[in-house]
Amino acid sequence: MKNQAVKYYPMLPVLAAYAVLFLIGRNMSGMWQLVAMLLFYCALGQAFNIFLGMTGYVDFGYVAFMGVGTYGMALAISRLAHIEGLGAGIIVIGFVLAVLMSTLLSIAVGAVALRLRGAYFAIATIGVNEGFRFLIEGARIWNGSEGIIFTAQLNQILGREAASALAIFWADVFVLTIAVAAALVTLIYMRSKIGYALTALREDEDAAKVMGINVTKFKIIAFITSASFAGLVGASSWALKTPYVFPPEVFEIHYTIEAIIIVLLGGAGTLLGPLVGGLIYGISKYYLSIFIPGFQLLIFAPIIIVIIVVFPEGVVGMLKAKTRNTAAGRFIV
Amino acid sequence: MTLLQLDNVTKRFGGLVAVDHVSLEIDTGQFVGIVGPNGSGKTTLFNLISGVFFPEEGHVYFEEVDITRMPPYKRAPLGIGRTFQIPRPFSSATVRENIAVGAMFGSLGKELSVDDSMAVADQLIEKLDLATHRDKAAGSLTPVEKKMMEIGRALAMKPKILLMDEAMAGMHPSDIDQMVAFTRQIAEEENISIVAMVEHIMRAVIGMAEKVIVLHQGAKLVDAPTQEALKDPKVVEVYLGGSGGR
Amino acid sequence: MVFEQLAGNLFQGLVLGAVYGMATMGLSLIFGVLKVVNVGHGAFVMVGAFITFWLFSALGVNPIFAIPVAFVIGLGLGLFFYYTVIQRLIKAPELATLLATFSIGVLLQEVIKLIFGSEFRGYNWTVGKIDLGLTVLPVSKLLACLGSVGIAVLLYIWFNRTRAGSAMRSVVEDSEGARVCGVNVGAAYAWSFALGIGLTVTSGVLLTMFIPVGINPYMGGGYTLKAFVIAVLGGLSSPYGAFFGGLVFGLIENGSYTLFALLPGVEPFALTRFLSFVILLIILLIRPTGLLARK
Repeated sequence: MKNQAVKYYPMLPVLAAYAVLFLIGRNMSGMWQLVAMLLFYCALGQAFNIFLGMTGYVDFGYVAFMGVGTYGMALAISRLAHIEGLGAGIIVIGFVLAVLMSTLLSIAVGAVALRLRGAYFAIATIGVNEGFRFLIEGARIWNGSEGIIFTAQLNQILGREAASALAIFWADVFVLTIAVAAALVTLIYMRSKIGYALTALREDEDAAKVMGINVTKFKIIAFITSASFAGLVGASSWALKTPYVFPPEVFEIHYTIEAIIIVLLGGAGTLLGPLVGGLIYGISKYYLSIFIPGFQLLIFAPIIIVIIVVFPEGVVGMLKAKTRNTAAGRFIV
Repeated sequence: MTLLQLDNVTKRFGGLVAVDHVSLEIDTGQFVGIVGPNGSGKTTLFNLISGVFFPEEGHVYFEEVDITRMPPYKRAPLGIGRTFQIPRPFSSATVRENIAVGAMFGSLGKELSVDDSMAVADQLIEKLDLATHRDKAAGSLTPVEKKMMEIGRALAMKPKILLMDEAMAGMHPSDIDQMVAFTRQIAEEENISIVAMVEHIMRAVIGMAEKVIVLHQGAKLVDAPTQEALKDPKVVEVYLGGSGGR
Repeated sequence: MVFEQLAGNLFQGLVLGAVYGMATMGLSLIFGVLKVVNVGHGAFVMVGAFITFWLFSALGVNPIFAIPVAFVIGLGLGLFFYYTVIQRLIKAPELATLLATFSIGVLLQEVIKLIFGSEFRGYNWTVGKIDLGLTVLPVSKLLACLGSVGIAVLLYIWFNRTRAGSAMRSVVEDSEGARVCGVNVGAAYAWSFALGIGLTVTSGVLLTMFIPVGINPYMGGGYTLKAFVIAVLGGLSSPYGAFFGGLVFGLIENGSYTLFALLPGVEPFALTRFLSFVILLIILLIRPTGLLARK
């Protein structure tokens, strides 16, 4: 039995890090806003890593899943608010709807794109976020380009005070939970046949097939998992903190760019990578925005290019190599 | 019992006929050598058996089941194992993990947990004398060590037939003898593995194969017990002169 | 009446299509020779657009003269990025070049934003209109179209009639054979990439001759997607296929816009863009190497 527990030791540094973040945020005045931002980036990175890091495939349209999740929550709140007695349960329904919708979208996209190899897959995904946005605007689904504003309904469900507390605190706690959950799922995959199959297909897809691995099945598992977490992140970090959703905002490729930076910086395919990457990126962006607002990508784009060329394994990847057979190495996964 | 049967199998790439109406049979436990010069179609034949591509004509049967159009990942658990001419390890994973993957998705895959697979890997690592490399990244091994690891990975699948593609190319003659002895031993121990080797090197073939199939320009030239095949004038003419006696 | 309008729109679609096609030739060239998918394609188009804008508004230079300037700058950028980034990733997994070219695109976007800001820019270069019977076309658009066709023809001549061009082609067909014949394969790769980028930046000039408004650092994204649809339509590795793919795409885009505009309750612009994405997926499913490509 001890054997089983040891497998999950790597969750300890993850839990510790989030605990520290939470405490800093709560106890140091004015820090919660930064912590909230860091939690968002860590959760985003953790979710994105499940696909990019574990399969080695890049989905350039990833933000679409976040956008769809945001719509899920928005629709739940705006359409169900008038039903008496549901109260905060609507938030739960919103999360469920967010996961459902992002899963459905990922199945639809995956059914087409995951049959394609490498570069073709990337090409296929490049338009997904824009495509979906233009579908919503073009066919005037869910209010089309006007989007959904649900401030009033949210206040109706929770009352003004609770709605406010949600926006500035509880939504971020949800994000923290999502980040931890995504990390746990990552570790569970890594320690199971799923993880080994993904590593094999990432390294050499044809050899993996000959070894008996149904590569498409495992790609789909990773894809859907990654997409559902994205939906959850969108639902809590976007819908619950700012009670409106507009298509051009929630389908912006900008967030995919940030997700890529976070995962590569921290170490693609590692457990701690997204956490480290999210912290570095988030803190840098926060302080850079004081001096040169809006230009953090100008700094990070060349950094990422350097990482791709020189340090493709990222910060945690390099740490892993150094601590391979040491005691600390058991926690750095 | 006939384990593997190819019936008039033909594979074309555009205008080129890589495998030309080849039929052959391999029985359970039989050691067979498939030999032929470069470009004779050996690797394509292996790719057709393991499912990397499908033939334009003909059928492939394994244990009497038609697997001609079966995807490769379904053939592995049936018991078809394979190594590659240029080793293809999962570079960032450890040697132990590489071999364990074979067990996880091989013929016993459904019954083996991750831990069970690691145990299988450990046993094979002992036999293959790779213990010092157990936890190293597979990509850091020497080419010969990678070949040994690939064999381990294929054996971990508990195959009934093992297709070894040029497993001994580039090896020292004494290493070849050792490999031959090792492979024979494992194959006999496991009782059901067949080793079908694809070799230029006659030394290994003579040491191991009961019968030899010679391919030339995609077609089957000779299919006979080893000693007979070596003396066949067609074989001598085609290529034996260059590498005979090595 | 509607038919006339449709015919006129389709003709405009062809004219625009020529420019789209030319814009995609660089992408196909780079993929054909180096097997690299330039995910940052749109950013280079955007650079060409800004070169045109700046030359015109700051120096009063006619956009036609922006063409050679853009081409040379494109060559320079191409060589720069090839030797600093792309060359080092030849042995790396495919994911690396995808992410690298994507990041290069982001970098260009940010640099341009730093220099020019993120507001929408435009310029006014009126040289009159011309009546072609079916429709009335601004001369600037006609020039853009002719320029695109001209460059496509020049490229054809270069590949088939010059030594350097033939050397480049030989590298695509058989790099080992080419090496044995004395072709400097490394240089061929570098110059192919440079040429591809040069073409792409130049296309930015022609595109702004066609649409001289909406120039901003983020305009590239839309063109990357269009370019991929066109490249996949016409053959991912063939620059000429890309050109014809562009013509087809121009027709489809204008045609569908006209048709959607007739439907009540939809936004034709948005729906047209959605349609191009759907076309991409369909082609990738049936024939990823391109509908017009030879085997």
